Amino acid sequence: MSRILVYCGFRHAPELALPAVGVNAAPVQVASFGNLNLLWSEAEWPFDPERMQKSAVEFHEVVHQVFKQTAVIPFRLLSVFDDQQAFTAFAAENRQRFMQDLSRLKDFVQMECVIYPRPSQIDRSSGKAYLQQKAVALRSSEGLAQAMQNAIAHLSREVRVREGKNGTRIFVLVERGRENDFRQAVTAVPIPSHLSRRMSGPWPAAEFLSEQVKMPQMDGAAGAK
Amino acid sequence: MGHGRRTLLCLMPNDFETLETLGGEDEVSLLEILDHVLNSGVVIHGSLVISLAGVDLVYLGLNVVLTSVETALNNLQIEEKRRQK
Repeated sequence: MSRILVYCGFRHAPELALPAVGVNAAPVQVASFGNLNLLWSEAEWPFDPERMQKSAVEFHEVVHQVFKQTAVIPFRLLSVFDDQQAFTAFAAENRQRFMQDLSRLKDFVQMECVIYPRPSQIDRSSGKAYLQQKAVALRSSEGLAQAMQNAIAHLSREVRVREGKNGTRIFVLVERGRENDFRQAVTAVPIPSHLSRRMSGPWPAAEFLSEQVKMPQMDGAAGAK
Repeated sequence: MGHGRRTLLCLMPNDFETLETLGGEDEVSLLEILDHVLNSGVVIHGSLVISLAGVDLVYLGLNVVLTSVETALNNLQIEEKRRQK
């Protein structure tokens, strides 16, 4: 059964080089709604779980090719529309909000840094030792996250921090073109021996989308899956 | 749900490879790609409505994948440590 798989939204610009094929080699098409362009392709639904990894990479490559040239609003891989009618209704309903976010984020990319305990340093000799160590690591991780935020303050338009089971994740909105400055600033912050740090980016500024764009309301919700 | 989990885990051996994408300018790990394409960006509101109405695959699929990525990130940390040795 075929569905509409949407990759990303971006501001119309004739000079952009757009990808030709997407997930499962399906031709990528552009739907224009005023100045908002949405890239989509037909996709077999449900996805074949055996090729989920490949589909994820193909999906990423479509989004990334556009993102290298301009700001995009990425969709999530597992969201599809039933048909063109549902897709068009969605776009008409959300076009203005998408354009506002694209305008706000047009000069920025998202850089990320994760701080997490070094696995070999974890003491599992007893429950008490484990919990004590975890408390120390948490305090230390918070301190390091703050030190990193201080180090990148001059580069960051906005910062969001999320605590997770795997550590502290810092999302930073950085001006496009200053990614290396970000990397250098983060690398310059000393890391305690029991913690590790992983950087990634640039990514589309998905963490900084407005809530209405991240989870848009739809009158025709039944048309989307 | 068990089927979905097994499916993703059998893909794990390649997850620690670094991929060169689109001309090799940017290197990103497969896990980071999975995390972003599944966890970041626009969520179409209808997905939850439909899932709760009984289309299990969407709902279960999302949850199984998210759980597995979380597990995979743990494994990534262990793998990084092994590489450092």
